[in-house]
Amino acid sequence: MAKQTSYFPELKRDWWLKHPYFKKYMAREATVLPLVFFLVCLLAGLFSLLQGAQGWQGWLQFMQNPLVIALNLLAFMASLFHAWTFFQLFPRVMPLRAGGRTVPPHLMVLGQWLGVLVVMVLAAWILMGGL
Amino acid sequence: MRKSTSDNIKRSDEPIWWGLFSAGGVCFAVFVPAAILFIALLIPAGIMAPEALSFERAESMIFSLPGLIFIGVVVCLPLFHAAHRIRHGLHDLKLGKEQLNKIVTYGSAALLSALALVGFVIGIM
Repeated sequence: MAKQTSYFPELKRDWWLKHPYFKKYMAREATVLPLVFFLVCLLAGLFSLLQGAQGWQGWLQFMQNPLVIALNLLAFMASLFHAWTFFQLFPRVMPLRAGGRTVPPHLMVLGQWLGVLVVMVLAAWILMGGL
Repeated sequence: MRKSTSDNIKRSDEPIWWGLFSAGGVCFAVFVPAAILFIALLIPAGIMAPEALSFERAESMIFSLPGLIFIGVVVCLPLFHAAHRIRHGLHDLKLGKEQLNKIVTYGSAALLSALALVGFVIGIM
């Protein structure tokens, strides 16, 4: 291969530590780490369910471990942080028009948070025996 | 006949991964918070009655059509979202090799998703 003659600035591994905006970007990338923990918990739950009532009881106890609760609390906060950044994208990627006017971005963001709330209320209703 | 230029260009698989990433992102933002809140926080912490997730209820809820939708929306799609972010995060941190990272991250998401579906199928049988 021909020797590279053009200038290539070398990016160091810690480039993202240099600016708050990049740190926020990397924090958002990292939101999936506690998410993966929660998802693996759910998978373990699914398979413990297949082991019968005793297996399921063991999983419920595992979920009560303070360390597990702490990690899942982190996952919960990460999911809300992710939601906060994700909801701001929607009005930019897909601006909606209603009655000949563009829907204000903050209303679209608000609508999405309302969606999160509705899902939570619905989940509470289902778990409390509504279904 | 000469092949047109577009025939010679290998079609990129990136749209698939970006599509799964976006779909998983919506699920992560809208459905996952509620799932974590109830299943992993309020019930284990004893704030909500544990009977909500008794063995019989959990079994009848998950091994059903709504249960399958739950697995798709709360487990599988967020897995691909996570895989995408981990893949690009590794690139940002200059870790690993691009092609290998891609296979390992999306491969793990696919494997765990398949595992969830196998668990579901065993459960309904």
